[in-house]
Amino acid sequence: MTTEPLLSVENLHTTFTTDAGTLTAVDGISFEIEEGETMCLVGESGSGKTVASESITRLVQSPPGEVQGTVEFRGRDIGEMDDTELREIRGGDVAHIFQNPQDALNHCYTVGWQIVEAVQSHEPNTGREAARERAVELLTEVGIANAAARLDDYPHEFSGGQKQRVMIAMALVTNPELLIADEPTTALDVTVQAQILKLLDRLQDEYGMGILFVTHDLGVVAQIADSVVVMYAGKVMERGSVLDIFEQPSHPYTRALIECLPGGERSIDGIPGTLPDPVDPPEGCRFAPRCEHAVPECRTDDHPEESPVSGDHLAACIYYKPGYDATVIHGPETDAQANATGGVTND
Amino acid sequence: MTERVGDEPLLSVRDLEKHYPITQGYLSREVGAARAVDGISFDLRPGETLGLVGESGCGKSTAATSIINLETPTGGEVLFNGGGRWNRQRNEDGSHPNDVTAFADDELFAFRRDAQMIFQDPSSSFDPRMSIGSSVAEPLQVHGMTDQGRRRAIVEDLLEQVGLAAKDYDRYPHEFSGGQKQRIALARALVLNPELIVADEPVSALDVSIRAEILSLISDLQDEYGLSMLFISHDMSVIREVCDRVAVMYLGEIVEIGDAEEVFTDPQHPYTEALLSAIPTADPRAEQANIELRGTVPTPTNPPSGCRFHTRCHRVIQPDGIDIDQENWRSLLNFRDEVLAGQVDVESAREIASTAAGEGDDADIKSELRTEFDLPESFADASVDETLADALDSLLDGDDETAAEQLSTAFTTPCEQSEPVMTDHGDGHQSQCLLNESAQSAPQPTPSDD
Amino acid sequence: MATDKSSRFDNVDWEAVTADSGRALSTNLLGTLLCVVPLIALLVYDFVALGQYEDTFAFVGIGYDVTQLDWLFALSLILFVFYALLPLYQNPRITRYYWREFKRNRPAVVSLAFLTFVFVVGLLGPIFISQPEIDLVTQYQPPIGMSVQNTYPVQCLGEVTSGASGQLCHGSLAHPLGTDSRGRDILVMLIYGMQVTVKIAFITSLIVITIGTAVGTVAAYSGGMIDEVLMRYVDVQQSFPTFIAYLLILYAYGGGLFLFIVLFGTFAWEGTARYVRSNALTKSEDEFMKSAELTGASTYHIITRHLIPNTASSIITILTLLVPGFILAEAQLAFLGLGDPTAPSWGQLLSTGRDALPYAPWITLMPGFLIFLTILAFNFLGDAVLDALNPEAQAESE
Repeated sequence: MTTEPLLSVENLHTTFTTDAGTLTAVDGISFEIEEGETMCLVGESGSGKTVASESITRLVQSPPGEVQGTVEFRGRDIGEMDDTELREIRGGDVAHIFQNPQDALNHCYTVGWQIVEAVQSHEPNTGREAARERAVELLTEVGIANAAARLDDYPHEFSGGQKQRVMIAMALVTNPELLIADEPTTALDVTVQAQILKLLDRLQDEYGMGILFVTHDLGVVAQIADSVVVMYAGKVMERGSVLDIFEQPSHPYTRALIECLPGGERSIDGIPGTLPDPVDPPEGCRFAPRCEHAVPECRTDDHPEESPVSGDHLAACIYYKPGYDATVIHGPETDAQANATGGVTND
Repeated sequence: MTERVGDEPLLSVRDLEKHYPITQGYLSREVGAARAVDGISFDLRPGETLGLVGESGCGKSTAATSIINLETPTGGEVLFNGGGRWNRQRNEDGSHPNDVTAFADDELFAFRRDAQMIFQDPSSSFDPRMSIGSSVAEPLQVHGMTDQGRRRAIVEDLLEQVGLAAKDYDRYPHEFSGGQKQRIALARALVLNPELIVADEPVSALDVSIRAEILSLISDLQDEYGLSMLFISHDMSVIREVCDRVAVMYLGEIVEIGDAEEVFTDPQHPYTEALLSAIPTADPRAEQANIELRGTVPTPTNPPSGCRFHTRCHRVIQPDGIDIDQENWRSLLNFRDEVLAGQVDVESAREIASTAAGEGDDADIKSELRTEFDLPESFADASVDETLADALDSLLDGDDETAAEQLSTAFTTPCEQSEPVMTDHGDGHQSQCLLNESAQSAPQPTPSDD
Repeated sequence: MATDKSSRFDNVDWEAVTADSGRALSTNLLGTLLCVVPLIALLVYDFVALGQYEDTFAFVGIGYDVTQLDWLFALSLILFVFYALLPLYQNPRITRYYWREFKRNRPAVVSLAFLTFVFVVGLLGPIFISQPEIDLVTQYQPPIGMSVQNTYPVQCLGEVTSGASGQLCHGSLAHPLGTDSRGRDILVMLIYGMQVTVKIAFITSLIVITIGTAVGTVAAYSGGMIDEVLMRYVDVQQSFPTFIAYLLILYAYGGGLFLFIVLFGTFAWEGTARYVRSNALTKSEDEFMKSAELTGASTYHIITRHLIPNTASSIITILTLLVPGFILAEAQLAFLGLGDPTAPSWGQLLSTGRDALPYAPWITLMPGFLIFLTILAFNFLGDAVLDALNPEAQAESE
């Protein structure tokens, strides 16, 4: 195991120039993904999570977009790369899958043709027959029954879940080291979602790839994540291991999100208020206007730095700065803490 | 105007069918039908929320639009007893005066005031060229309220009730977020003061945090105005949040219906079990006891015989004389179905076997086929082993028909032969599964329509 | 606010409301009727009470005989005011929004200003400026800044200088854009030409929109056999040789601008009909259309309130492509001598200058340049309108 992370993102900023002014979608986020790790980027729509995931391989259209900050993949700075190298990274070591598989597949060609194409563009020396065999192998791998027969089917002959499987198969063509999955199950039924999550889990074990999974659904996060980054209005609110996040949610926003889950305390109220305007974000902590624990300093000071809660578990909340009492947020004793491993304290 | 008598349901759906004809050729000859909704029956009591749940393609949305008569059903009755239509008796010819599907134009127009609908996609649910105030006021205008000031006052009041401001009246849909639009959609559905609201996946397109707000608003309004609701969703966790009763749909049929709490704690149909197990839980330590439903929903044009779920059921019944591991039995049936459909590609298995480490001989191909279809090398039952080996031999000889025949005579399941009927589990909890029929030694007769 | 009992949705007594609901006419329809009824009355009066050559407005002392074209033009203007301008005024918020989106496109703003200028001058100019008079004495006067050999004009109104090739006549303020071979003022002729252009644009638009939308919606909403027949007819019409038909009618019965406009207008609506039909079919899947249907609204209501407004931006774009085609076609026919000699169109002016092209190029250049600018403006406008009138696309991209 090398000490170097697979992907390290530091102080990533992505802005868009619009008529209304400069829209800051991602405002200085940092995280790392280790080899073979699944990291979930969680947030509501408009939190900038998709833009963040697209900024990694510079998929953001520029102009109007502009990406700043350091993104290092295996120690190589992606920001410094020229177009050829970028293309190699995108089509090789880092693969993307998206929310709507129907938009990502070309409807004019058979699924087999598209996979063969992908195989051949990755390994130009592969013969057509060999490429087809590889395609069958990949489709079988992602659980398409009877792959050989379905190779000559067109995308519209596949269901939504199957299309997502095909997309995953295409992403696997290059044996990627990092798979960036942007809400791959949001458009799918719950039953199909369960299948896809299982599939990703199995593939990760087999291929040992890192996964950056972008989602708004904490239920999904709990199932697949090793570590979690919670985003809100372009900022990281909290990050830590999945157990940290679920058993000791330390940022008021994370807590609110978890309580919003069906069956949770807030499942019937939600979080009052709406996301701030990305063109003109509020002073101070971004979440302060919706936060029930906000103190006056939250609105006047800068957005709080990430402060350690315990070990690698960080929260960007004023309560974790010296001089504040963090128990205000999780209360003296909560169910989550009671379930937690026991000895963990937050000071 | 008549008063409600006894526990007369507000809405009573009987054997509702919606078949879409499939036509071919220049003369539009009908060659078949997609049976999107194929005979569903349920009751909805006043003030109650009934959840209709199922995967995409199970016909739940079609059921909704048929019930509200946005599409004309091809069969069955939808009796709507609200709007002062209580306690009406059947006509002499057997038709019911409250049957929405047989309403004359003026009755249907009046029915529109009593039943409204909310749709899934907030982005297309408002006319982009109309201020949202006009959109919400439109039903009032259509129903003859000519007083513009009054319309505006009503809509402004209603907008405030759904959590928006009166001044939002003049704003346009593109100025609102998805959650806000769904609130406005709720206002539009409410403006005619209906008794029934059909909500078709109203929160599926929303974020979890906003979803909660909308669900809470829905239940508040429901309590305040005594609305009854038919709530359609594919997400069991949402259904659990809002529904009093649940009906689980699969391929145009209701397979289980009952009290929400009962269905969730004690599901009787394997399909309900599978749906429930697919709900993600927010506990990272929990090992999901996920029942993986293999394959996808079959096409409604040609639904499977017997129990429609048998092609995917993880508890599909083994016939007398076979007793193997349930998972292997499922794989075996899947393999049989693929062979019957002529979908097994021996050639590609042969290619893979020859490129792989092995010799590429028959044994390798067979083992390749076994891996592909999750078939173990040997079963607990010797006769099963034998039949499978024979069938594989025939397949390799290129004799697909013999293989199909060998498999289909040896491996059968009662599930595909007899159609299950509704089994009553008490308290209106019913399910449609052969397993439950055999469990209840003396199956009770299906409850009468009233 | 609004705690008044009658202003709560659950306190509406629908029995009472439906009982005393009359049909309320919208302002737009009311205004249209108020204008169209007198127009029809006048038309009837003109046809029944007056002889063919009597001036329509003789009874108020105006010596102007309203032509067939004028009737249609008046109708199209009335509809334009009540169904294009008035709605923009009635919905200031969305109008402001359209304008914000529209003005991002600079060339389109300039185009709109130019076309508005053509419209206003073309509409009002001929009322205040009398027809250009034929005066052979003042023929071939060059425009300001140009000159011509003094042998061509009978009398030079401007300065006369002597150059290398003899005496040169320079332009003067009397005829800022010069005169043609018969001494008519070109500026005045251009203004009269504007009116012809405006008439072509408005009347063909009226015909195309009316027939196209009607056929498109009927086809979409009837479906089945009617749809099939209408759409196959559209196919047939698409391949109909309008130009040849025009020539045939022209030779057989004679014709004029009226024939041109009506013929080309009635054979140009296929695209609109097709578009409206497909849009109706797509939009009917949209949830807002289903919601409207669920209110119990009639198909007529749904078509007029939802379908047509949501098709408008595309219809306008189709028109911005069609109308320049008509203007160009008229000019071409006129240039070839197949136009209406009585209509003072730009094309007509273009053709009068044909023979004088070597020495008096301005006669051709001026209308040619205007035609070019007008067509360019329409094209710029079409692009911008499609972008600006599409709030959905905007909202998604934000």
